Amino acid sequence: MKPLKSIFIVDDDPIHQQITEIMLHRLSISEAVSRFSDAQDALDHIRANMHDARAMPDIILLDLNMPVMDGWEFLEAFDAVRSTLPSKIKVYVLTSSIDEKDRERVSRFTFVEGYLTKPLSKEIILQLAQ
Amino acid sequence: MFSASKIFKVGTLPKNTYVNFLKSLYSLADSMNLYNIIVTFGLIPSAYAKLKCSMNNALLRQVVEALPDPAAVFDRQLQLIAVNRAFAEENRKLLGFELTGGDSLQKICDACPHLAELLLNKWRRALEGERFNTVLAFGDPPRHYQTSFSPLCAGNGQADMVMMVARNVQQEVEARENELFFRSVLENLPVGLHELTAEGWHRNMNGALRRMLGADHPAAKNEPYNIFADPINARNGLNSLLVEVKELKAPVKREMYLHYVEEVHDNVTRIRPMYYETTGFPVLDAQGNITCLFLILNEITEKKLAQLSLEKSERLLQTIVEHLPVGYIQFDNFGFIRRVNQTQRRFFTWQEPEGPASTALHHDPFSKLFELDRLFAQVLQNGKMVRLEKKLDYLPGQPGTGMEGEVFLDLTMFPVEDPVDKDRIVVALVNDITEKKRQELENNKTHEFLTQTGELGKIGGWEVDMQTRTMRWSAQTYKIHELPPYAAMTMEKALSFFTVESRAKIEQAFKACMERGKAFDLQVTIHTARNNILQARTIGKPEYRNGRIIRIYGVIQDITEQYKIKHQLTRNTELMRLFFDTIDMGYAVMDKEGKVNFINRKAQEIVDHGTVIGKNIFEVFPMLVGSTFHARVQQCMELQAPVSFSNYLPVPDKWYEFLLAPMQDGNISIFTRNITDSKKMQRELRKANEQLSSLNKYLVNQNKQLEDFAHITSHNLRAPIANMKALMQIMSETDGEEEKELYYNMFQEVIRNIDETLNDLIEVVQIRKDLNVEKERLAFADRLQKVKDILLVDIETSGIRITTDFTEAPHIEYPRIYLDSILQNLLTNAIKYRSPERRPALHFQTRVEDGGIVLTAEDNGHGIDMERYGGKLFGFRKTFHKNKDAKGIGLFITKSQIEAMGGSITAESSLGKGTKFIITFRPE
Repeated sequence: MKPLKSIFIVDDDPIHQQITEIMLHRLSISEAVSRFSDAQDALDHIRANMHDARAMPDIILLDLNMPVMDGWEFLEAFDAVRSTLPSKIKVYVLTSSIDEKDRERVSRFTFVEGYLTKPLSKEIILQLAQ
Repeated sequence: MFSASKIFKVGTLPKNTYVNFLKSLYSLADSMNLYNIIVTFGLIPSAYAKLKCSMNNALLRQVVEALPDPAAVFDRQLQLIAVNRAFAEENRKLLGFELTGGDSLQKICDACPHLAELLLNKWRRALEGERFNTVLAFGDPPRHYQTSFSPLCAGNGQADMVMMVARNVQQEVEARENELFFRSVLENLPVGLHELTAEGWHRNMNGALRRMLGADHPAAKNEPYNIFADPINARNGLNSLLVEVKELKAPVKREMYLHYVEEVHDNVTRIRPMYYETTGFPVLDAQGNITCLFLILNEITEKKLAQLSLEKSERLLQTIVEHLPVGYIQFDNFGFIRRVNQTQRRFFTWQEPEGPASTALHHDPFSKLFELDRLFAQVLQNGKMVRLEKKLDYLPGQPGTGMEGEVFLDLTMFPVEDPVDKDRIVVALVNDITEKKRQELENNKTHEFLTQTGELGKIGGWEVDMQTRTMRWSAQTYKIHELPPYAAMTMEKALSFFTVESRAKIEQAFKACMERGKAFDLQVTIHTARNNILQARTIGKPEYRNGRIIRIYGVIQDITEQYKIKHQLTRNTELMRLFFDTIDMGYAVMDKEGKVNFINRKAQEIVDHGTVIGKNIFEVFPMLVGSTFHARVQQCMELQAPVSFSNYLPVPDKWYEFLLAPMQDGNISIFTRNITDSKKMQRELRKANEQLSSLNKYLVNQNKQLEDFAHITSHNLRAPIANMKALMQIMSETDGEEEKELYYNMFQEVIRNIDETLNDLIEVVQIRKDLNVEKERLAFADRLQKVKDILLVDIETSGIRITTDFTEAPHIEYPRIYLDSILQNLLTNAIKYRSPERRPALHFQTRVEDGGIVLTAEDNGHGIDMERYGGKLFGFRKTFHKNKDAKGIGLFITKSQIEAMGGSITAESSLGKGTKFIITFRPE
């Protein structure tokens, strides 16, 4: 299995960021893991490096419930730019919500690869890498 | 003339005689204007002596004879002493007798009795030494003589003789009289005369000119006046005329507008132009140089004005004639064409005749063609107008006309007396009526055609002559009415065939046609002569001549058959409609595209939208596009099989069952039935829901709050629990103590988090649960002061300025703990989210609205993007600022506290300006 180059964790909960990063490192599925407490920061990063494929992550793990810009707003903004990205970015929603309404709403963003509930399990992390 | 030498020879008179003679001679010379000669002669002293001696009568006679003028000497006894031949001659001529020596003066006096006394008187006084010189008229006709009487003295100094010299001055007298005469004539001439020097200086003028110029004119006042220097003459042409006179040295005559006079009529001042016929001529001397200039001014204003107005009316007449829409030809008494207007010229492509002599119409082949010559003679002879229509058939390219083929002319010729030379002249008016005539012929043809074709289409013609009110029918019209052809027909009789209803229609249409020229096309019912009932269509039109209606004509067509078929069709459709309208089911037919071809009453009720028949249902109701209905229609057409389904239509709020059935002709039949009743359950449930919600908004709030809790549990409690799960997992998979220590600390953090969240939740749940918390009467000002005391430090450090206006609603019945909490949260928010750009401020205000109290808290802080965050503003643990203090719980609790008491909270905000929270407490 060839490790991924980069994974972005977009979540305002610092504990969760930390735990996820540890889990990803343990399984060595990515060379780099970046943490963003604010979806706006992640979006700004992507927009600023539109011509640099190396700055793009392979995967974004996106929380929904965040201050300033939440996951929904990020998905809408990302949808607008994704066709012009230099490489494909897989977006996974990673949330503590088990609300069916949230799951249904995410399904409308067809480009989202999956709806994951916290916490991540080893099996799921390994599936991400494939 | 005598000479000095001759006198020398006779000079032998005695001294005294000589002196007397000399004296006499002097007087003679004086009387004869020969003074100088005598004096010269007398100044020769040596001659005196000789003359003195030789003087005697004989000498006297010789001297008298020598005088050139008639002269005679009479003595004291009136006896003629000496007379010269000239005198004798004149005497014979004038008085008719010979004068001989010794004749008495009395003889002359007798011949001229009117002079006798005067002559004798002068004679006597001359003898006394007086001298006279007077002009006397002799003879008949009178001849004028300057007659002098001079005494001739003898030696004693006594005059003993009188010499009478009569010089003929007839010419001079006549000349003088002539001049006076001419002067008075010129003075009184009715034309103005002006005599000027060659340089133009005023010299003389006559009375007429003085009157023309007026008394104020410098020339009239005899002041120096130069006609060339007068500026007005440079303009009126007088100067140029005089210059021309000077150049040509010949008379020049011109008509001029020289000045004007003002005439006042009843406060109106009119300017009357004065026209003159001005003649200038030079007077030349023998060398041909101009000695003076004469101007003759003859006022011709009346003539000129008359001439101008004549020209004007002439021009007007000419213009009218020229632009008459009918051709105009004017002949003189001899048949020569004198005037042709443009219509006529265009009409005949008439060429301006070259040279003055146009052909007289008796010899003009073209006029002969028109028979104008004959007409001309007839008009002139009878002195009466002739009018006729002429049909002319031209060959192409016939000279003198631009016409080709058949031409109809309306020709009017009438005699006119020329007002000036009283000649009788003839005027012809020519009107091209070819088009009208063609129209008439065309009409006749149409009539004929109608008569012929009427048989086939059962169309008959009819007409009513509006002048005679007679009615004419074509054969087919008789046939339609089942009458024998050409039975006498009147309006009344024609109208009697119509049914009462149709007759009223026809009469009304006829009236409109007569009065307003309105054509008609009516469907009427006729009882024929054989009492059959026919359906007929009758069309009528008016025809006008010279703006007056002359007839109404038209056609009548038997349309009974068509009517029957149409009627049957209508009835069938009607029956079908009746059938479909009676069934308690909506029925419609539409084509593939959705165009509605048939719709029954029930279906019309269902669609509840004006006329849909003939329209596309998907255009009338765009919301149907893409609906279940649309999908099923497509399905039905694809499968070519009936499709049934039920559908809820939100607009009438009803459920309908549909059956779509494809038809052979490609259309689709739609049957629909209201099944709302069978959906009773749903409806009642909804009704109950509506009642519930309308009865108690509070309950809905509870519902919403329940949802909120579900959400909170899902998000805010699951998150730390998920973290704990993950931590436990990674902890179990590690052996490193350091790592375990890290995870342990993280555990602590997570647990603290859960604790905090649970506490918040418990607080909220407490609020929501504690519905009957005790209320008390509170003063807003007091409670705010309490809160300010608690937050004193924060207020001080932020420097926030708090203002209030609780005058409208100073008190409220409310749980004290809630109100304190609400005020504290609002104040905390205003401090937390203050703008660094300005001094923070917060204004609290209360007012009464719809019986409830409204509290507003308006700050000047960051503001919130309401479009982006409006929905989450009051959510649990929702934050929108990157503010570390933001926990997203304050407003959630505030909202809970307000809603628990049946109130509501909303916010208005704009980014960068501030936020206004509006709290509506439930009315008590």
